[in-house]
Amino acid sequence: MPGKDVKIVGFLCNWCAYAGADMAGMARMEQPAGMRIIRVPCSGRVDPLLVLKAFQEGADGVLVSGCHPGDCHYGSGNYLARRRLELLGRMLPALGIEPERFHYTWVSASEGARWAEIVNTFTEAIKDVDEGS
Amino acid sequence: MEELIPIIKKALEQVDVVLGWAQSPAAGVAVPAFFHTPAEADAAVFDSTCAHNLAVYLPRLADKKVGIVAKGCDARSIAQLIAEGAVKRSGVFVIGASCPGMIDVKKAWRCFGFGKQVCDAAGKVAMEGKTVAREEILLWKCRGCRDPEPVICDVTVGEASSEAPAPPAEPAGIRKRFAAMTVAERRQFWQDQFSRCIRCYACREACPLCVCRDVCTIQAHEPGWAGAAVDSPQSWMAQLIRVNHLAGRCTGCEECERACPVGIPLMLLLEEQNDVVEELFGYRAGGEAKPPFLTFDIKNDTWDEER
Repeated sequence: MPGKDVKIVGFLCNWCAYAGADMAGMARMEQPAGMRIIRVPCSGRVDPLLVLKAFQEGADGVLVSGCHPGDCHYGSGNYLARRRLELLGRMLPALGIEPERFHYTWVSASEGARWAEIVNTFTEAIKDVDEGS
Repeated sequence: MEELIPIIKKALEQVDVVLGWAQSPAAGVAVPAFFHTPAEADAAVFDSTCAHNLAVYLPRLADKKVGIVAKGCDARSIAQLIAEGAVKRSGVFVIGASCPGMIDVKKAWRCFGFGKQVCDAAGKVAMEGKTVAREEILLWKCRGCRDPEPVICDVTVGEASSEAPAPPAEPAGIRKRFAAMTVAERRQFWQDQFSRCIRCYACREACPLCVCRDVCTIQAHEPGWAGAAVDSPQSWMAQLIRVNHLAGRCTGCEECERACPVGIPLMLLLEEQNDVVEELFGYRAGGEAKPPFLTFDIKNDTWDEER
């Protein structure tokens, strides 16, 4: 649907990606408005079921973002997350969800510009999928 | 398989109960049976209709010493339960049965009529009057079976198959159609499939690895992952919870799909997940190793970030 607002649910780690998104906002970087951010204590908190639930409730895309590998506030949360999320991402085509609608990535607290770029690219990818189908 | 009865009787000297099969008087097929005494064991049978995975009963009998007749695939479920700690190795006595491949009883009934004797004791499909190629009515998992011999067993019964394992079966029927679908078509496909779901939870109850039973996340009121309403999106979410909780644990015994009264092809999801787990972690459930999501060692993590 052209012109439709893309609804994205973002699960962001409190210690890095959330602060990174905050920084992007403070710096007045342009970002799509369709992002709904849910702050989580750690990307390791993100149960794959949270992602699936978001899709089931009507999200157009789900973005999970945590600290870079090695930088987890709790030591290993992001290592646990990527194992689960990689499995989930590879399952999506069989579930009838385009893999472009899901992305997990690492953003540190100082990477505001990177965050803005990730959100923009992700939103564009979802728009492409929506228009293609 | 006559020699099974004395083996069960002998096992009963050291276990409380033996799980096996007996002939169902109603339908002419085998049904699960619990043998407590040698006299009861006279009813034991093993034929091509013993499709049930009896490992499903093991966790609830964890306080007893249990003997169990197991096919190759059932033994994988038992091994997985032991690896996860749901069952103690010392608590089970595995009677490994050499398996000729099990037939899909529903398909057989469609060919020969309900209630006919659909196979003989030797495991050969022998129908009255009509003949049908055995491959046509075999369960999907039995075509291209990877494990005809039990991975764990204390005693074996029957001749071990001398044939090499069959090559993996080419996707056929619904598997072929599903593979050819676009992602959007699959979304519609699952919506249609799950509009039939009656939320009977037979998939969960028949699954040997769904060990949580009454404390299942699917039925939790808080936080309410899947609504109790029997509609397609809620039933779909309920099934995704089950599939997700079986990641790296499903041994592919196909019991969920076989138990489904409305014929939802659940194995399409689980087979896909099993393939992805094997690809990502080199792990196949049903051996001695613990599942990948139960083990994680940060010091020996070999994850390739660029994968």
